Amino acid sequence: MTRLGHYAAGLVVALGSAAWVIADDATTVPEGLTFLGAPVTAEQVALGQEVYAANCAVCHGAKLEGEPDWKRRKDTGRMPAPPHDANGHTWHHADRQLFTITRLGVSAIVPGYESDMPGFEGTLSDDEIKAVLAFIKSTWPERERGFQAEVTANDEGGS
Amino acid sequence: MINMNDPITKPLGRRGVLALLGGVVAAGLLSTQPARALGTSHSALAFDGDALVVAGSQVWRFDPSGVASLLPEPRTPIRALACHPDRRGRLFAALEGGGLDRFDDGGRTWAAASDGLPLAQVTALAIAAGAPDTVYAALAGDGLWRSEDAGTSWSFVMDRPWLAEAEREVLTLASVNLASGMGGIWIYAGTDQGVTRVPDCFCRWQDVVAGDAMDALVAGTPPAPEAPLPKGEPVSALVAAHSAPERLYAALPSGIWVSADGGVVWENKSSLHAQALAVDQVDPNHIAADTNTELKHSRDGGTTWATLAAL
Repeated sequence: MTRLGHYAAGLVVALGSAAWVIADDATTVPEGLTFLGAPVTAEQVALGQEVYAANCAVCHGAKLEGEPDWKRRKDTGRMPAPPHDANGHTWHHADRQLFTITRLGVSAIVPGYESDMPGFEGTLSDDEIKAVLAFIKSTWPERERGFQAEVTANDEGGS
Repeated sequence: MINMNDPITKPLGRRGVLALLGGVVAAGLLSTQPARALGTSHSALAFDGDALVVAGSQVWRFDPSGVASLLPEPRTPIRALACHPDRRGRLFAALEGGGLDRFDDGGRTWAAASDGLPLAQVTALAIAAGAPDTVYAALAGDGLWRSEDAGTSWSFVMDRPWLAEAEREVLTLASVNLASGMGGIWIYAGTDQGVTRVPDCFCRWQDVVAGDAMDALVAGTPPAPEAPLPKGEPVSALVAAHSAPERLYAALPSGIWVSADGGVVWENKSSLHAQALAVDQVDPNHIAADTNTELKHSRDGGTTWATLAAL
């Protein structure tokens, strides 16, 4: 699917996922949650929900559940979109890495790696990227948040 | 008595040497029956503490005292072995045809350990360097499975590596206790297209580059490997030294290759063509190799080799 196709599909799916996103509008921010060193705000999480629904949910799932059978390679040789919830591995990555992957694509950190996920530079602003990642982080259980905070802290230049 | 420092110099053939060993084991040890051949062209090696275990259709244990003991026969020939220094006496064995057994008491008690694991050939085994009850098994035509309870239950964690436009079988696995930058360590795999690795969070298979994923992130593009393994050669064995995880040994048709930096720079140490390798859990310079005709070991990191037994 082309990048434009992704976005078009994303908008379509967003209509469906918006119900979940909007229904879950009691935006709560876990105490002490940060992204790239800055405290995460309720407004940022709310923006992140919207951005996620419009741009990410089409592949990663309206409830961050990932594509079906996401551990099995597609016929194209590429891996399906993984979950962003606690079942996935997003919480193993430092803030800086998550930001870079989202902004520039996976190949930015694994040169030559072919992925269906585009880089969102030019489509989303840096603030929107930070917001969507703050939203994703806000959904993680305490254990996963704690683990990811430690990974981020160990990442030179992280928060 | 067979001593690791006193090689058997008379070729006995795969059947003969173990017949000798069976006789040598003799007094007071596990078996005095004449040993049969390992019985397969592919034998498996592992260090269990300071003892070397050699397995095929039979299982032999070379104690550091020099005694070779024949252990109870496995239910099918063994293709791969794994042992962790924090669980001495416990071995995991991949069986020919599929399935996996756990051997306790150094191989004296055998039990199936593949509940939940599909019945496919386990091509490679590894135990997590920092978690002795976590076992990884690579299944032919399938992918990587993980047990976090010492083989009681298994779950699928990752598809096979994708290299040169195709999925590749994992021929050998090693848990390498080097930080991945993602809160865990690396799992290295040898394939017919070389070595690749995946963080133990299983986000993606990737090339070995200098530093961890964070370094790659910062740099944008990582530095090219300075001395990779030769392209186009299958990696039939890959082991990491538990006591020095940056030290890797790989067996290729071109010989034994050694890396001192986690697989970025490789040096060809010997022309020995090995089917299986094992590295001492305490002494990273002590490695053992099965060349299909001889069981050899080196105490200087692969430069010089002595024959333990002709096979």
